[in-house]
Amino acid sequence: MQYVTRESAFHRLHPLTKLIFAAVVVALAVLTSDTVMLAVLAGAVVAAAIAGGLARDLLRQVPLLLSLAVSLLALTVLTIRSGEILCYLVPPSVPVIGGSLPVTAGAIDLALAMSLRFAAMLFAFQLLVISTQPRDLVHVMDRLRMPVDYTLMFLIALRFIPSLQLEGKRIHEAQLARAYNPGKGLAGKIRGLFPIIIPLVSNSLGKATVLGLTIDLRGYRSGRRTPMRDLAPGRADVAGICCMGLLVAGYLAVLVV
Amino acid sequence: MSPEIGRETALSLEGVSYTYPGSGTPALDGIDLALGKGEIVFVTGPTGAGKTTLCLAASGILHHEYGGTLEGEIAILGKSVRDYRSMGEIGRHVGVVFDDADAQLIFTTVEEEIASGLENLGLSREEMQRRLREVMEATGIVDLADRAPHTLSGGQKQRVAIAATIALGTEILILDEPTAELDVEATGAVSALLRRLSGEGTAVLIVEQKLGELAAIADRMVVVEDGAIVREVLPAQMAEDACLKHPADGGARPPAPAATPPGDAPPVISIRGLVHRYDGVAAVRGLDLDVAPGEIVAVVGENGSGKTTLVKHFNGLLRPTEGTVTVDGLDAATVPIAELARHVGLVFQNPDTMLFAETVEDEVAFGLKNIGSGDIGQPVDAALREVGLLHRKAAYPRSLSRGERQRLAIACVIAMKPNVIVLDEPTTGLDARESGRVMEILGRLRQDGHAIVMVTHDMLLGEEYADRIVRMEQGRIVYDGRTCEEEPCPRLCSTSPGRAPFTASTRSPN
Repeated sequence: MQYVTRESAFHRLHPLTKLIFAAVVVALAVLTSDTVMLAVLAGAVVAAAIAGGLARDLLRQVPLLLSLAVSLLALTVLTIRSGEILCYLVPPSVPVIGGSLPVTAGAIDLALAMSLRFAAMLFAFQLLVISTQPRDLVHVMDRLRMPVDYTLMFLIALRFIPSLQLEGKRIHEAQLARAYNPGKGLAGKIRGLFPIIIPLVSNSLGKATVLGLTIDLRGYRSGRRTPMRDLAPGRADVAGICCMGLLVAGYLAVLVV
Repeated sequence: MSPEIGRETALSLEGVSYTYPGSGTPALDGIDLALGKGEIVFVTGPTGAGKTTLCLAASGILHHEYGGTLEGEIAILGKSVRDYRSMGEIGRHVGVVFDDADAQLIFTTVEEEIASGLENLGLSREEMQRRLREVMEATGIVDLADRAPHTLSGGQKQRVAIAATIALGTEILILDEPTAELDVEATGAVSALLRRLSGEGTAVLIVEQKLGELAAIADRMVVVEDGAIVREVLPAQMAEDACLKHPADGGARPPAPAATPPGDAPPVISIRGLVHRYDGVAAVRGLDLDVAPGEIVAVVGENGSGKTTLVKHFNGLLRPTEGTVTVDGLDAATVPIAELARHVGLVFQNPDTMLFAETVEDEVAFGLKNIGSGDIGQPVDAALREVGLLHRKAAYPRSLSRGERQRLAIACVIAMKPNVIVLDEPTTGLDARESGRVMEILGRLRQDGHAIVMVTHDMLLGEEYADRIVRMEQGRIVYDGRTCEEEPCPRLCSTSPGRAPFTASTRSPN
């Protein structure tokens, strides 16, 4: 997940508008557990992405979201018994253990709500990250008087995601060239992670020192930045804020009713 | 050692000694060095001599960020580094290019990388735009402006890191191996830029393993060994001083291994019509290549010419978009990577990419276990003996020196006895002595019948050690033939002037 150079409607929005958008979506997602409202919220973010021409980038997260949803479903079904029993994982006709592990409506509801909440938040955050250059985010966070350490932590986190992915791929390739076999069974798979994880962590720690020094030497702690280009909000920002207002108003109306 | 007479001192180190935390021996031992404004000082010496530590000391980093024991006095623009509040304050006067270009690229596009530093200086927008444009043109990265830094080649990253630092316009520049991964053309551009900056009054401290164009623009050269300055050479002496050609080994680059022309054996690698596209962009554009057993082939070319993409097809890390790749009679487009690993060994440019085990012995045994080799002990010992590391078999791999780690990476590959050994930039970051040791090993492996393919941007390395040179440009082979007798080879270096002669005469007086 990183900035993508493109001419999209989202790219043209002011970084603050996008930051507010992400914050609003996160707040709305956290404040409700209603699956219909969460579905509408996630749908609204996807609709915004389609309108902004960034839907394909969001689709890349679908496999991750699906695997998360399946894991959550398994977890809730095994641990939560609430509401109507829909079926049993072990059919009642099976002798002795028949009728155990009931699948309840409450468990499915919770898994669905958590998955939709995560989807809405992830999509909103991704729209922000792929359409906003980190330095613009830094400027906005400065204006919002965020402590410089938090801003830099955010910047470094953004920087490390693609870098770790690339380094991990490089290390994986290097070990594959030595006929590396990830191993079988749980123990084998855990042991098989060492040839990847150890170089990845060691190399990342080494890079973190240089990265920190570079940030200091380039004056990022000075806190007196002058943006090279204008970051004034435009009509699109007004329209965006209005859409968000409508979303929040609709959300509150449903809550009240 | 004082700056040139008549120059005002920009940076000085007096009696500087430093010992890293937990280490018993000093990494720097009584360093006296001063740089005048507008002066270029070139520091060289063997791997592990303390050159990088010298950069860290001179930039105030050792004092502000590292533990350990630091003695002596370091002054930047006449003010002790102890009196600067932080590295941020020092950063207004000193720009540092670290040897790890990748780690100092923070942002998501090349333009943003350079612009972000300018935005912290309180400059007008016009001045920022001017500096941005100027530095990108001077380092030849205008066409990379919208690219994400982490997707660039090593040489391109290095140019961006240099541009981002130079754009800050500091009075002092410290560059640690700034051209280790640059081709001749890019090195020439960087040296011209540094020369211009020094003419404008910037003091420049350059640390490099290898002499070349950057040494040629220096006012003075300093040789460091075991943490101490062992000699200083003035411009008048530079052209004549034979030892300076290879200071790490006393002047003599190890002789090239004796060539044994390959016989009539069938090729061990055979490529026909290879095309590879990344997301629709062609990196290799249709090439044919045969490599015979017992042959050292150097694949050379500018940064981004498709060299690494080509060799990754040999062991299945990349599969052809079009065309065929046959290795040891196997179709490299379909055979699993684990199977190809028995036939092709690949040594990556950075050995730290693969080192993970607790001991050197375990590290070498890893590949053998993966291919189900019955006998582990004997091949491990043989491979370590071959690379001169048998006495370090119980050591922790990451505690070895850079040169030793590179040789260990080679041992890991040769223990598996592949018929083809591919090395990506085998001598980057190594001094002349370590480079020579690596090339000696390759020479012996060739005599044992292994085909060796080495990817390098170092034209001279290819000319000295390879039987055959394949030159790539924009994904195509533009030259494939025996090593040229003439130097520089006109066919080989059609777009590159070859390694600059070592002379101080190219330096313009200030």
